[in-house]
This record gives sequence, C-alpha cells and structure tokens, in this order.
Amino acid sequence: MTSSRRLNCITPPFILTRLLDSDNADIRQAALATLLTTAQLRGERRVRGLIAGALSMQGDGRRSIYNCKHSTFLPSAKLARSEDDGPVKDAAVNRAYEGFGTTRSFYREVFQRDSIDGHGMRLQGYVHRGTRYNNAFWDGQEMVFGDGDGEVFTDFTGSLDVIAHELGHGITEHTAGLEYHNQSGALNESLSDVAGSMVKQWFLKQTAEQADWLIGNDVFTPSIDADALRSMKAPGTAFDNKLFGKDPQPAHMDNFVKLPDTEDGDNGGVHVNSGIPNKAFYLVATGIGGNSWEAPGHIWYESLRASTQTTDFQEFADTTFTKAAELYGAGSSQQQAVKEAWAQVGISITTTPTLLGRV
Amino acid sequence: MRVSLTTRGGLAAPIVRRLPPRVLDTDQLPDTDARELRRLVAAATADPGGAHPAPAARDAVTYTITIDDNSRSTTLTSADTSMSRAFGDLLTWVERHTS
Repeated sequence: MTSSRRLNCITPPFILTRLLDSDNADIRQAALATLLTTAQLRGERRVRGLIAGALSMQGDGRRSIYNCKHSTFLPSAKLARSEDDGPVKDAAVNRAYEGFGTTRSFYREVFQRDSIDGHGMRLQGYVHRGTRYNNAFWDGQEMVFGDGDGEVFTDFTGSLDVIAHELGHGITEHTAGLEYHNQSGALNESLSDVAGSMVKQWFLKQTAEQADWLIGNDVFTPSIDADALRSMKAPGTAFDNKLFGKDPQPAHMDNFVKLPDTEDGDNGGVHVNSGIPNKAFYLVATGIGGNSWEAPGHIWYESLRASTQTTDFQEFADTTFTKAAELYGAGSSQQQAVKEAWAQVGISITTTPTLLGRV
Repeated sequence: MRVSLTTRGGLAAPIVRRLPPRVLDTDQLPDTDARELRRLVAAATADPGGAHPAPAARDAVTYTITIDDNSRSTTLTSADTSMSRAFGDLLTWVERHTS
C-alpha cells in the first residue's frame, strides 16, 4: 500500500517550485495549478507530459542577480534581475547578468555543458557586497562581487574573465574537485584562469595570437600602474609598482614558490604557482594556433574531467598528453604542442609513447 | 583604542597581502564615532563567526582585526562565507572610516 501511494506522487514540490520559473507559460501555469490543488492534479496525464518536457529542456542555468546593498550578509540581499528580465538601472547588476550569460553560452556551445554542474544549475550572483570590498569569490554555490575600494580596485562585475574565472571554480568543483592548496590548488586556480581567458577570447572572437592573455585587466582604477592581476603569456610581469611590488608568479618549475599551506601563505601559493600551468596553456594555444577554445580548450577540459582531487602539475600534464592523443591522434601536431609546452615550463611528460599508441 | 584590519587571500591574494593595514584610533575620532566603534568591537568580539572560509569557497578573503586597548590586545579572525553579522558590521564600519 505504501509503495503504491508513493508511486502516485510523481510531482515532488521542489520540481513544481522550479517549474514556476519556466520560460513556457503553460508549464508555469500547470505548476502553479498543481501546487494549489496538488491532491486533485497529482498524476494527471497532461501535467505529467508538461513536466517531462520541462525536465528535458535545454537552456537551463537560469540567472538571478541580487543586490547586497553593501551588506556582508547574503540572505538579506534583494533580487535585482532574473532570467528574461530586461536591463535594470544598476549597471553592476546588468554586467553580472551579461557576464553570466556569456559564460553560460560559452560552456553550452563549446563544450556542450549545461551550466556549472552539467545539469542546468542556477547561476546566482550577488553584487555590491560589503563596503569597498576588493574581491570577487565563489562561495561554493554562487558568485559574489565587491565594488572595489575605488583607490586600487574598481567594480569586479566589469571583468568578464573574472566572472568566468569564478564560475570556472564551480565547474572544477563539479568535475575534478581539485583540493584548494599546494599544487592541486594552483592547478585549480590555473584552470579558472584558463576558463576566464577562453571565455574572454571567445566573446571577443580573438585568436590565441591576438589575445592579451591577461586576467583581470579591468579590475584596477586608472591611477594604478598595473596591467592586470596575472599574465598567462608572461607570468610575473602583470604588475611592478611601489604600492604592491612585483608580480610574484613563476613561469617555470625552477622558480616554483614554496609558501606555507595557510591562509596567510595563500594556501601554499595557489594564486602564485598557477603561473606555471597558465604559461603551459598559453604555449599550447599559440603552439597549435587558431582559437584557444578549440583543440587546446578541449584537451584541457577533458583533462579537467579526468582529474581527481589530488592531481598535481605532473599528473595533469601527463593527462593532457593522453587526452591530446585520444582527441587528435597519437603523434598529432596537437599532441606534440602539448608536450613541448609543458617542457618549456619545466615539466617532462612521463606517459610512455608506446602506451599512447594503443589509446 | 587602536583597531587595525589586515586581509589575506582573495582573487588578488598576492596584491592584497602587500596593501597596508587599515588603522583607526578612537583618540582621533569624534566621541560619537569612538563610542560606536567600541560598541561594534564588543559585539564582534562576543561573536566573530567562523575563523576560516567554508571548505567549498574559492578566492574568499580572511580578515584579521587587531584591537589594542591600553595594554590588552585582542585578535579577531574571520572570513568571507563564515563571518557573523557583528563581525561584518565592524568590518564595514572600519572600511568606511579609513582610506
């Protein structure tokens, strides 16, 4: 008896609630009616058909942008713009909304990935967080933007590569889940920079040769003498000024920076040593030529999906070599470019060629 | 009472760590502001929130607020995603009153 009753309950409330946001007016109406008169409608064929259609719909990953109004307490933020809403007066809200949309389109069109989790996860952004907040972060579920202090940093919603970097953290969490310290953490950071640069280049329709390969070149105020937060083309050269010194990123394993695995030590230098795999990706992209999001992007994306929580630089390099063979053939020019790129940053591929011939 | 704020981590971690701390001294504040700062410090000290960012957070910032009052020194540490409202209120006030 019990199981039979359960079988009739085909429309759990959370699905119905989600359907209230559907693009399809019939689905919204049906979901609303179902929530209002659950007992009568449960199991009815018309509703079941509509729900099945909704669940198979492409193009999920609906956006919601909230305004924190300078609070650090996210639950008090107010919804400012939802999917299908037109632009609002607040430019930061609109920039976050558009940046989410561009990143979502990139993953859908280039990697056939439906949002962050691959299953249409909602994209939620919180703008105007805190006061003079010099950061943007991914909290595990949503992205949060500061306005910057107006002295060193400006509004972080203005940077598409920063948005794609943060959403990239979400994708890494839903794939390899790379631990956020030491080499796996620096690789996690690098993969977000790779995401940021690819989305920016895709949006601007730039080839690897044409791109600036800078991350966060929009985040500084005009008074600051710095090109960007990081340079993937030339790690260690993004800034050099009196206020905050010289860019500490290495571009080669010989200069790997050992830092304590503490918050004070940037969790073992995750934002420092990411320069090494960043440079490798730049070298692969320019070595292969054309667009970074094509062969280089696919090799990196498939390697991300094949990685684990503890993957280090060497293991990731070996994986890219294997994936290049799987995607483009053993001994292909793409695979050769991968091998040469890693060699230039001080990492020799350790996967044996004979094994690759059988992949 | 002297209050100083340092930040670590975040998207721009290597840069942020080199920026000077933000410092306030109640001796140099109007009485109403000094009273408000003491009230915010007391509330944040009673309930600073978690000391570290949530494990799933990426690019989150950790804040250290040091309070030197006569010979006593108190250090409060909290982070994006884990700070209490009281810590957030103190952080916001310090950010607004320093440059």
